[in-house]
Amino acid sequence: MRYSTNEFSGISSILKIDLKLFAIVMIIVFLGMITLFSVSSGDSSLMLKQGIRILIGLVAMILLAQIHPDNFKLFSPVLYFGGIFLLVLTIFFGVGKSADRWLDLYFLRFQPSELMKIFVPLMIASFYSDKSLPPKFKNLVVAAFIIIVPGLLIAKQPDLGTAILITTSGVIAIFLSGIRLAHIFLGLAFVIGAIPFLWSLMYDYQKSRILSFFSPDQDVLGSGYHLVQSKIALGSGGLFGKGYMNGTQSKLDFLPENHTDFIFSAFGEEFGFMGVLLLITLYVLATFRGMSISIKATDNFSRILSGTLILTIFLYVLVNIGMVIGILPIVGAPLPFMSYGGTSMLTVFAALGIIMSIKSHQRLMRK
Amino acid sequence: MVSKHRNETIRKRHRFEEKTGWEDINDPVRDRASHKVRALVASAIVFVISLFYLDHIYQIQINDHELYTTRAEDNRIRVRPIEPIRGNILDRNGTILAESFDTFDIVAKKEKIVSEENFITNAKKVFKFEKLEVDRLKKEFKNKKLKEITLQRNTSMEEFTKLSVDQYLLPEMELIVKSNRRYVFPESTSHVLGYTGKLSENDFDSTVEIKEGMTSVGKIGVERFYQNLLSGSPGFEKLETNANNEIIRVLEKKSATRGSDVYLTIDIGLQNYTYELLKGQRGSIIVMNPHNGDILSFVSHPGYDINLFARGISSKDYKKLLQDKANPLFNRALIGQYPPGSTIKPFFGIVALEDGIIDKSKVFACTGAYKLENYKRPFKCWKKDGHMDVNLSSAVASSCDVFFYRLAEVSGIDMIHEKLQKFGFGEKTYIDLYGEKTGLLPSREWKNQSRQTAWYPGETLNVGIGQGYFLATPLQLANATSLLASGGSSVTPHLFLRSIDRVNNEVSNFNYSDNKNEIEIDTESLHVVNEAMWRVIYDKNIGTASHIKKIDSLEFAGKTGTAQVYNLDKGKTGKKSLQDHALFISFAPFESPEVVVSVIVDNGGSGSAVAAPIARDIINFYFENIKSKVAMQ
Repeated sequence: MRYSTNEFSGISSILKIDLKLFAIVMIIVFLGMITLFSVSSGDSSLMLKQGIRILIGLVAMILLAQIHPDNFKLFSPVLYFGGIFLLVLTIFFGVGKSADRWLDLYFLRFQPSELMKIFVPLMIASFYSDKSLPPKFKNLVVAAFIIIVPGLLIAKQPDLGTAILITTSGVIAIFLSGIRLAHIFLGLAFVIGAIPFLWSLMYDYQKSRILSFFSPDQDVLGSGYHLVQSKIALGSGGLFGKGYMNGTQSKLDFLPENHTDFIFSAFGEEFGFMGVLLLITLYVLATFRGMSISIKATDNFSRILSGTLILTIFLYVLVNIGMVIGILPIVGAPLPFMSYGGTSMLTVFAALGIIMSIKSHQRLMRK
Repeated sequence: MVSKHRNETIRKRHRFEEKTGWEDINDPVRDRASHKVRALVASAIVFVISLFYLDHIYQIQINDHELYTTRAEDNRIRVRPIEPIRGNILDRNGTILAESFDTFDIVAKKEKIVSEENFITNAKKVFKFEKLEVDRLKKEFKNKKLKEITLQRNTSMEEFTKLSVDQYLLPEMELIVKSNRRYVFPESTSHVLGYTGKLSENDFDSTVEIKEGMTSVGKIGVERFYQNLLSGSPGFEKLETNANNEIIRVLEKKSATRGSDVYLTIDIGLQNYTYELLKGQRGSIIVMNPHNGDILSFVSHPGYDINLFARGISSKDYKKLLQDKANPLFNRALIGQYPPGSTIKPFFGIVALEDGIIDKSKVFACTGAYKLENYKRPFKCWKKDGHMDVNLSSAVASSCDVFFYRLAEVSGIDMIHEKLQKFGFGEKTYIDLYGEKTGLLPSREWKNQSRQTAWYPGETLNVGIGQGYFLATPLQLANATSLLASGGSSVTPHLFLRSIDRVNNEVSNFNYSDNKNEIEIDTESLHVVNEAMWRVIYDKNIGTASHIKKIDSLEFAGKTGTAQVYNLDKGKTGKKSLQDHALFISFAPFESPEVVVSVIVDNGGSGSAVAAPIARDIINFYFENIKSKVAMQ
């Protein structure tokens, strides 16, 4: 093994960590932690739990970074079909408050749909890795099935938000694989055509959420209440914010879910537009860094996978922020690296680990 | 790096594939270049969407900042008014008649109660609850709409101090302070004080100033008239609350300003005494100082429990009061309008003397009835056999009706209407209470307007003896009598003595200098009439009230009145005399009057038998018990 550039040096090279990406993400994690500290009014148990989750995420990231991308490719069908199997199990044995999203394995409760956020891009990348690019129509249809099957299973739980997100991440993977423009338009036409069909499949509460998105003020105490309070939190923050620990909307509980889905609004209330600008810049920089890794990757599998994963993370950022500022309907998606919660933290760090594995193993593959 | 050369290579390769059909062959160079283009496009999209997002957030955070700041403040800030302590009402000696005091509702928030069972067990111990109360608690637990359990309402400070020994058993207990009004003599003072009640739509009239944050207001009586003095000014608390409406902290506080204490001219000892004198009767008594207008006693009997109203009267209790035949809610002294009967005679006598219609020695013969031209039935004197020859003095003393029929016929209604006005008949006294009635001093004009008929001569005769259309309130009679007692000093009767602003202890006294207005009464005529009123009591031969017990220490003067009530069915009851209202007006001492007493007993019988002894007792009581106190002030 020989490392030719000074980027790879010291501990980070041993751990196969991309320092730039890691540094950006850790600043975001730090901002998340101080916001959590503020909205929980210094609840140390909450901080401790979140700290442990971040540590687990970091360990997972480092472990995954050690695995050679070839191994991901090798195991991708097993992982993908295993995930599908778990989704089917969830439909029959799932547990959960309002939707059966969780699978209880007695020693461990988790959401199989969370796994699919990684497994679907992995499967697409793996599928296209030995096909000629741009993909032929036949291969597009196969890829569409790879996406749609888990998508429908998750929508059935019902978890429409995640279903759409996973489908979208699959579409990103197809796009990165080099789909022809004509095929893009064809796909778009297909999606638009499918909307009435999908609408008919939706549950009433899903429909009402989407409808409330179009007129949030008409339903202040229903689903629109969240959005109204979120906008009040953000808007009252102004340019420089109300100051750290001074957010009234978040600290007095007017802002619902202020440490999970709406942590961005809590952050924006206390740090204002300047804080928001910094945070979004960090997410964009992280995405650009990921895309740079993707461009520099040495084979199709690595390129498609790393690009898809980083764009998927960014997609989650867009969906979460879009939801709290009223651009997208409230679907219940966490903000990567910031929202309180275990599963999502683990998933995004795992994705990060795979990206870092691709980055750190690229030179070894160039023979 | 993408170069033109490489792009060209890709395109060539593309064309080659299409021709040959070698599509399944991977070309690493081409794939890499193609991926790079797409990665850059994706990055550009990421950048553009981010800018779009930032623009949208800019709109919310910068452009709409003020709007959302207001909404955030509206969310968290609640302004809670602080009710001021209402001033007390006291009598002229400083005895409290109405006072404000705090009570507590003891409650417990449901969310703070861990175990319903333990809570009820402990509540039983602390409050010594019986089954009935326990059932009520259980019901309140079941009622999802209630956020708190009410343990006990209207708890006094003393009771709470006792209960708080066991507070550790019920740490969930919370106190809600409520301001209350308590009337010490609820029935005897009811028609003076009135009561306070919850602010309602009707209270927003011009007479009272409703300040923001006030929840209760004086409804009638002194409570209403001096609302602005008594109420004080509400304060407020600016509170920060969370989404659950729990108070986090007080941001700003302005204390309420206590209302002024109001001292009345009433002497509560005399008030209670006069009230008791009417026990079992319906009627009214007014005792006033003729020189300065101080009302020492203002009674309408029966009264009612004004504490019921202060607490918020139940519809059952209210219905009971409305259906009571004695009509306790009716303020007879202020709005009761009675035919004054013979009590009008002294006043009529004075104006007749002043006008020269008669002189004091003019004699009319009374044969028990008076015949008027064109009237078939003669106008009867109360004394069937007649009074023989009477002059004004003996006509007043013996209350001869025929003398006054004749006098009325000679004077005519126009003169009576015009001249009697100076004694205040037909006009409000402008006492400091709302709702006063004017009575009725009839005239041709009035009859023409209200009945659309001409005035008949016989009606003049009835007016001459205080009957017919003539109506006066007890207050008007007392007011007119005080003119006789003071020799023409017209004073407005009033209940207000002084107020004390409790904030800076500033005293504002009643302005007596503005309350005097001399009216012209011929001294000679006044003397004749007053002496006649003395004879009512002390002329053993003809005085209508000469039979009553005298007072040892002093002499007094008065005039009886028995107002006939025509509209009651005499035939059925058979108790004709009981239908009549008994009236008596008086002043004492005769030589230098200090106090005026007017008594009316509804359907009480004759003035001499019923009303005069009551007035005599009051005068006696006044000079034995009250005068020394009044003189000291």
